[in-house]
Amino acid sequence: MNKNTENQFDAIIVGAGVVGCSIARELSRFKVRIAVLEKESDVGWGSSCRNSGVIHAGFNNQPGTLMAKYCEEGNQLFHSIAQELDVLFKKTGKLVVAKNNSEIAGLKKLKKQGERNGVKNLDIIDEQEIRKLEPNVRGVAALLSPETAITSPYLYTIALAENALKNGVHFYLNTEVENIEKKSSGEFVLKTQNKQFITDYLINSTGVYCDKIARMAGIDRYRIYPCRGEYYVLDKNASSLMNHLIYPVPHIEEGGLGIHLTPTVDGNVLIGPSNEYIDTNKRNNYAVTMEVLSKLCKEAQKFLPAISPKYFIRNYAGIRSKQTPPSQGGYRDYVIEESEEVPNMINLIGIESPGLTAAYPIAKEVVAMIDKKEKLSTNPDFNPYRKGILRFEEQDEETKRKLVEQDPDYGEVICRCEQVTKREILQAIDNPLGARSLISIKYRSRAMMGRCQGGYCQTRIMELLKEKYNYKWDDFLLRGSESYMLTGNRSNGEPAL
Amino acid sequence: MINKDVVIIGGGAAGLAAAVACRDKGIEDILIIERESALGGILKQCIHDGFGLIKFQHSYTGPEYAQKYVDQVEKQEIAYLLDSMVIDITSQKVLTVVNKSGLKKYKAKSIILAMGCRERTRGAIGIPGTRPTGIYTAGVAQNLINIHNYMIGKEVVILGSGDIGLIMARRLMLEGATIKMVLELLPYGSGLPRNFNQCLSDFDIPLYLNHTVVDIKGNKRVEAITMAEVDHNGKVILSTCQEVPCDTLLLSVGLIPENELSKMAGIQLDSLTGGALVDEYGQSTVKGIFACGNVLQVHDIVDNVSLEAEHIACGVEKYLSSFLKPKNDIAIEIGEGLRYVLPQRIQYLDDTVFSFRVKKPGKKKQIVFKNDNRIIKEKSFIRVNPAEMIRIKLTSSELSDIKHLKVELN
Amino acid sequence: MKKEFICIVCPNSCRITAEYNEQQIKHIEGAQCKKGEEFIKNEIKNPLRTFVGSVKCRNGDYQLVSVKTNKPIPKKYIKQVAQKTHELVVEAPVEIGQVIISDVLGQHADLVATRKVRKKVL
Repeated sequence: MNKNTENQFDAIIVGAGVVGCSIARELSRFKVRIAVLEKESDVGWGSSCRNSGVIHAGFNNQPGTLMAKYCEEGNQLFHSIAQELDVLFKKTGKLVVAKNNSEIAGLKKLKKQGERNGVKNLDIIDEQEIRKLEPNVRGVAALLSPETAITSPYLYTIALAENALKNGVHFYLNTEVENIEKKSSGEFVLKTQNKQFITDYLINSTGVYCDKIARMAGIDRYRIYPCRGEYYVLDKNASSLMNHLIYPVPHIEEGGLGIHLTPTVDGNVLIGPSNEYIDTNKRNNYAVTMEVLSKLCKEAQKFLPAISPKYFIRNYAGIRSKQTPPSQGGYRDYVIEESEEVPNMINLIGIESPGLTAAYPIAKEVVAMIDKKEKLSTNPDFNPYRKGILRFEEQDEETKRKLVEQDPDYGEVICRCEQVTKREILQAIDNPLGARSLISIKYRSRAMMGRCQGGYCQTRIMELLKEKYNYKWDDFLLRGSESYMLTGNRSNGEPAL
Repeated sequence: MINKDVVIIGGGAAGLAAAVACRDKGIEDILIIERESALGGILKQCIHDGFGLIKFQHSYTGPEYAQKYVDQVEKQEIAYLLDSMVIDITSQKVLTVVNKSGLKKYKAKSIILAMGCRERTRGAIGIPGTRPTGIYTAGVAQNLINIHNYMIGKEVVILGSGDIGLIMARRLMLEGATIKMVLELLPYGSGLPRNFNQCLSDFDIPLYLNHTVVDIKGNKRVEAITMAEVDHNGKVILSTCQEVPCDTLLLSVGLIPENELSKMAGIQLDSLTGGALVDEYGQSTVKGIFACGNVLQVHDIVDNVSLEAEHIACGVEKYLSSFLKPKNDIAIEIGEGLRYVLPQRIQYLDDTVFSFRVKKPGKKKQIVFKNDNRIIKEKSFIRVNPAEMIRIKLTSSELSDIKHLKVELN
Repeated sequence: MKKEFICIVCPNSCRITAEYNEQQIKHIEGAQCKKGEEFIKNEIKNPLRTFVGSVKCRNGDYQLVSVKTNKPIPKKYIKQVAQKTHELVVEAPVEIGQVIISDVLGQHADLVATRKVRKKVL
């Protein structure tokens, strides 16, 4: 495999979510010319930044499925990958809580299923033990899963992408594939708005759009039914209310794990997600709704009566790429296959929960599929390590003192809620992928993510962009192209508007 | 560790007034810690007039009002740090401060909390819909327009009728934007009546009471909002939903005292005000730590902030000279019709200014202070309005032999 | 005719009722001070407002200098004054009270600076 022309690649990955970026990073261990095409202005802006951020243990999935297999493997792998990539990872453990005695059978079933899937250390505990672990949680019994962990799903995706980039992968952001042609030579020609790409291997990791991309290549047998999940984000002050992830006993026919409470690695708490199938023609409908928002709080209060709207700081929604239609509900197993009718195209279909956990094992599988055919040679320069942005707030006082001495930019706190310094924000702006939207800066630095939601720091970050990077009013974008934050200068010393 | 008599956190209206008043009382060793690059706080961006009518019998703009105090601080050579953030504070009154020149620790005999407040956001009130750009809190919009010379939108809907929202309606209008409407969830306006007059009526901007936003549309920039009427319980009447095309949604839905540092110091907060629980000198439950301004309670006008700061400076001076000796400890009982009363307790029975807000608008009302059934003081009002803070002073002789104190609205 | 006004002179926001016809004001009620009565007289004949806004400032530590009319001007001129402020550029330093436009639109009021803007240190 050896391509040199600028737009020619050995492998192109369409979709820079956590799965696409995992594949890119894993494939960069080999001498392969790789490109990742992403329609958004940054990586991880689909489902990868819109989920609970859970590294599941693997007891929710039916034994024998790819979901169960990759979930369990992913959980085992995660610790070492997180270390290599400098990604936050906390093994908080999870409690699946039975609200009444009739739900205890469900807990036993889960435990058995988990054990068959190879999940370790599962235990069913009683009301007293729940109280000991979680004084604020109400329930009669619970399944305790110590192996369940949390991470930051968008920082993980960014870390994978940055490491892939460092190992030679080419990232094309704002690049939406509009047409796919398979030439008689076997090569794929991908048309995007400004550019044409040629590749031998085509990997479709487009999440909720995977059936559409497959159809572009002439494969019409996949169907995705987008299913939205809405969340509330709670103030860090709520983190003292709980230590574990708190889940209800799942009702499998609903096709979700039920509205749960998840601590985040940053110290917030999430409530969600709901479960609503949406119009297949509006797959970017990330709206939250009045009905669901009011339901989320009530559901959470069933386990944790102390939850109240005073903790709410934000809401958001993610979309699951389900293969089961609304009439059927439940789950259908992941499809990871090279299709017979279009050789060298690998389709990843229906990668919904536990997709974050399963992403890396899926990537390994995809690479193995290519390796089997091509006998890939190892990239001797592959470097598995990546450093994230050092967080000032998390350092002890002595380290903070030294950091400010080394670089006065650490002495300037720009975001007060999350205590993010100028130094960290500049690093976030200068990110290797070149993503410059305010949301990109926010995900990387945590500025604007706190309880005032940028009320204090947003204008300061904008000022920084203006001073350092000479931003004009129309350079300020919230979330990629066309998301203009401003409509002009108030006055140029000449008539405005 | 650097020792200080008084450390003031925040160089806005409250902090500046407190600093000047402390110096007037003869306190020498004062330090103001300000996180921004200039003193003045939020007043810097409040370029409208109407400040100072009580304090100076003259209508100033925000920057002018702030400058009067900044000039005093400079003239009296009160020390201040700019671009400096307090990142830790203990109940022992040890502060950790970080700025470009390093991380330093201060040990204060007394601390005055004057951090102000923050705006309630979309997330806090849970407005449904998508999350495009073009949704601003009124204060952020004010900052972008008045300090940074940007325009934030062309067709604007404002949710909430707080004063900053009303002021921004006029401001945006004069800068060329169209203000489609102001929506208010409550059956009455949240801002001062005169602002409804000079900011909305003057420009024929419609105000819809009992209305809210139930949906936001647009993936990149706001494309429309859906407005709806609410019933007397605040519940949305779905049949009244109506889509309003716009590119901007401005939120003026309340202010929250910024008490994260207060919590770190172990201070007890009052859930009604969102600020510290204090005695009549603004002293919190941690001895020697005082609070004034919007961090203590959200004020309607800055003059009251200055007056409050001047009053607590008396307490700081007494505390430093060990004259602050409790004579009693009476928790104030909040009677009918009032949302909160400050201070929450009185201990010294000196002259005390009580401040409070009513729950809803009313006509021909009396505020009554009672010791059990004995009326200590009564004051009549032609009108009362939740938007307006009421301040009433009780003298030490009025308070002299009370055992209990209840304030109510009749 | 009888009309209720909200006085904008101070935060008291007095509700003042006035009875008047085209020739004269017959009766004013509800003002807590003389300024309120004065306000109503103007409000009936020729409403006055103080304009506040800002003007672009070059080479200053602020990009804008905030301004106001040092006296209220007829309400109908407010938008025209706003338009003027868009077209102006002043040079730092600027002191509070410094006249930016004297006798703006011939309305016997000056547009004056309300913010101190220092020369930017480069």
